[in-house]
Amino acid sequence: MMLRRTILPFLMLLACVPARLHAQTIDDGVMLVKHDLFAGDVYTHDSWDHYWEGTLERTNGNIGTLTTQNNVWSANYGVTDRLNVIGLFPYVWTRASQGVLRGQSGFQDVTLAAKYRLFEHAASQYGSLRGIGVIAGGLPLTDYTPDFLPLSIGSASKRLSGRFTLNWQTHAGWFVNGSAAYTWRSHVTLDRPYYFTENTLFNTSEVDMPSVVESTASAGYLKNGLMADFVFSNQRTRGGGDIRRQDMPFVSNRMNFSKIGGQVMYPIPKLRSLVFELSYAYTVDGRNVGRATTITSGFLYHYQARRQPRS
Amino acid sequence: MTMSSLSRSSLRVFRVVLLLTLVPAIVAAQTGTDANAGTWQMIVLTGPSQFPVAAPSATTSLDYQAEIASIKNAQAHLTTDQRATIDYWKTGGVLRWNEILRELVARADLPPAPALDGTYPVPDANNPFADPQYPFGNPPYAARAYSYVSVAQFEALKIAWYYKYLYSRSSPAVVDRSVQALAPTSDLPSYPSEDAVVSGVTAELLKLLFPTSVEEITLKAGQQRQAALLSGKATASDIAAGLALGQAVAAVFVTRAGSDGMRTAGGTPAQVQALADAVKARGEIVWRSMDNPPRPPMLPFFGNVKTWMMTPSDIVNERPAAPPSTSSPQMAKELDEVKQAVRHLTREQYAISLKWADGASTPTPPGHWDFIASGYIAKAQFSEVRAARAFALVNMALHDAAVGCWDAKYYYFNPRPSQLDPQIRTAIGLPNFPSYVSGHSTFSAAAAEVLSYLFPSGATDFETQKDEAAISRLYAGIHYRSDIEVGKDHGKRIGGYTVRFAQQDGADPLPAPAR
Repeated sequence: MMLRRTILPFLMLLACVPARLHAQTIDDGVMLVKHDLFAGDVYTHDSWDHYWEGTLERTNGNIGTLTTQNNVWSANYGVTDRLNVIGLFPYVWTRASQGVLRGQSGFQDVTLAAKYRLFEHAASQYGSLRGIGVIAGGLPLTDYTPDFLPLSIGSASKRLSGRFTLNWQTHAGWFVNGSAAYTWRSHVTLDRPYYFTENTLFNTSEVDMPSVVESTASAGYLKNGLMADFVFSNQRTRGGGDIRRQDMPFVSNRMNFSKIGGQVMYPIPKLRSLVFELSYAYTVDGRNVGRATTITSGFLYHYQARRQPRS
Repeated sequence: MTMSSLSRSSLRVFRVVLLLTLVPAIVAAQTGTDANAGTWQMIVLTGPSQFPVAAPSATTSLDYQAEIASIKNAQAHLTTDQRATIDYWKTGGVLRWNEILRELVARADLPPAPALDGTYPVPDANNPFADPQYPFGNPPYAARAYSYVSVAQFEALKIAWYYKYLYSRSSPAVVDRSVQALAPTSDLPSYPSEDAVVSGVTAELLKLLFPTSVEEITLKAGQQRQAALLSGKATASDIAAGLALGQAVAAVFVTRAGSDGMRTAGGTPAQVQALADAVKARGEIVWRSMDNPPRPPMLPFFGNVKTWMMTPSDIVNERPAAPPSTSSPQMAKELDEVKQAVRHLTREQYAISLKWADGASTPTPPGHWDFIASGYIAKAQFSEVRAARAFALVNMALHDAAVGCWDAKYYYFNPRPSQLDPQIRTAIGLPNFPSYVSGHSTFSAAAAEVLSYLFPSGATDFETQKDEAAISRLYAGIHYRSDIEVGKDHGKRIGGYTVRFAQQDGADPLPAPAR
């Protein structure tokens, strides 16, 4: 009966919580230099058997374990040293281990982002400070329904988000990174003429979607293409109702969570342009989402136009 | 008396006769005030004499003039909230209450969560705010609720109409031109106030049916009466008489609801086992819950609940013939059809499934048909009593369909597709009760039958929606084709009982066509 959890981590993410799927992506403090391309294919396995019905944590025998997998093709290109453009194309599929509900699959939402380095100060002999702004838009690629959570593959809303990232990097390779984004979401249209949420029956197919605030903090090491960090991320939905007792989740629910995790990017020896990525995240607290464990792995290829990679 | 005055009075008599005979017949079919509604056939009540309404004071009396003065005073100091209240209720009380009722049903439409030991607590009418809340507004409960409210409103309004035309006291805005008419006016007499009648009868029933929403219900009912007064439609005495009448009529229905079989519709585990054993003895596979943990089936004895237009033997006589045996080649073929349908579900078919899912937190399938009916009723600009009639007819048919359908479901107790073939995964939630016949099909056909009678120009639309609602269940993987086809036929026959009543209740101009 409830599965929206799955979706959440991934879908909402693509634009809003584009998480930290890979470095040199939307929410990190790293920029590609001009004409560099960083592209690849990343697989994510996200599952939970506990979820928060409102604030009540529970299991559900009609769901068992909800698993959401996705495969994301990503590309990040350095238009200039200061401007990168990023695209993400995810294919998502969902499954419940118990009960009779049918899983769903399909191309979810494309995300396109422009990442711009606002400033960089070689602040001291120890390192440098960078500020980065990102504007990202998300658009459903297919006509999937958001009305079958938690088995729906996404929220089916168009999204626009603004992000600011501050990054401090030492010459030795240590860094700390903080990033926050605000995402506006368009209304979504259901296939039915009414729906009930927030104690009200709305006699329309159109659902207003609350905005989302997402923030991440990470700290780690990055040098010569090798990266390892710890990450804390948080999402707060600015409105929306709770899942009612024993009810299904609804697309505009207030979906909040906090996650902890970490990530490693490891350039394959002798094939230094090929980078292996592995990351892990665990939901430590949530509301109207699942207590998810998320594992991501994939390979990314770094095409370097010039020989000296910037970081 | 002069000759001319004599002829004038003859003419007046003639006019009155004309009004009482021909005109209502014509007006009734249009959008008039339905002056003869006090003579329309009763359904549960015996007639106006059952609820005496005292004669009002004359419009020339000091009391009445004081009432008029207080309306004028209030109108001179209207607040923004009061104006909003007037605008809200201007749409029509019967239509508004149906909308409110659909929301109350959606709010109540939540199955109990399982306890830690895997059992399911039963909602308790004496402790409605507990977990689980009372009631669980599932489809049969909802069908019954919509019908009680609609029939009680209709009966109360027929009695109100009788007294309105008996006493013929005009509305304040007509009596005194300096009272503003802030809502649509007509020449409908205002004593007793139809808005107050509707507020009284509806609120009393809703408090019984949805006890956790008593505060909101009471507030809305009060606002409806306030709007009638502030808009210049009714005086305080029009409203007091209407409220008393509405509440008195409600009491009859509250009593009926207390002994209509709903209380025992849940049955005991032993009774449910006996149903299952009877089916097993016939050599059939018995339905079992696909919920985890297994949930007792929804209201297995709802088929015994009192109907409006049918007798208990009608319910048995109309019960469809047995479904294909669970071991028959026919069943295997139908099972495969379901499997293929879900496997090859198109986006368009899925949209239809979702449109008609009407699962938890919805007004339920009967409410979906009230939603459809509301659009037609609003557009027709019926008088309040005729709007109430339309909802009453539709909802009596829906309730009787619920009873007939539940009777069949538990008589045959046959399994859902996912039970016979665990590989069948459903595109919407799987209802926790037996498969044969499809509730959506029965409900939709019964409602479409009545609506097509009331709104012949919409017949094609109703037919299309009925077929769509019915087949949506096959697309979603939760019903076999037999459930759907037989359910539609069953529902159409059940709807026919209500249509035959409507053809001769005195509200429609044409005599009943030959059947």
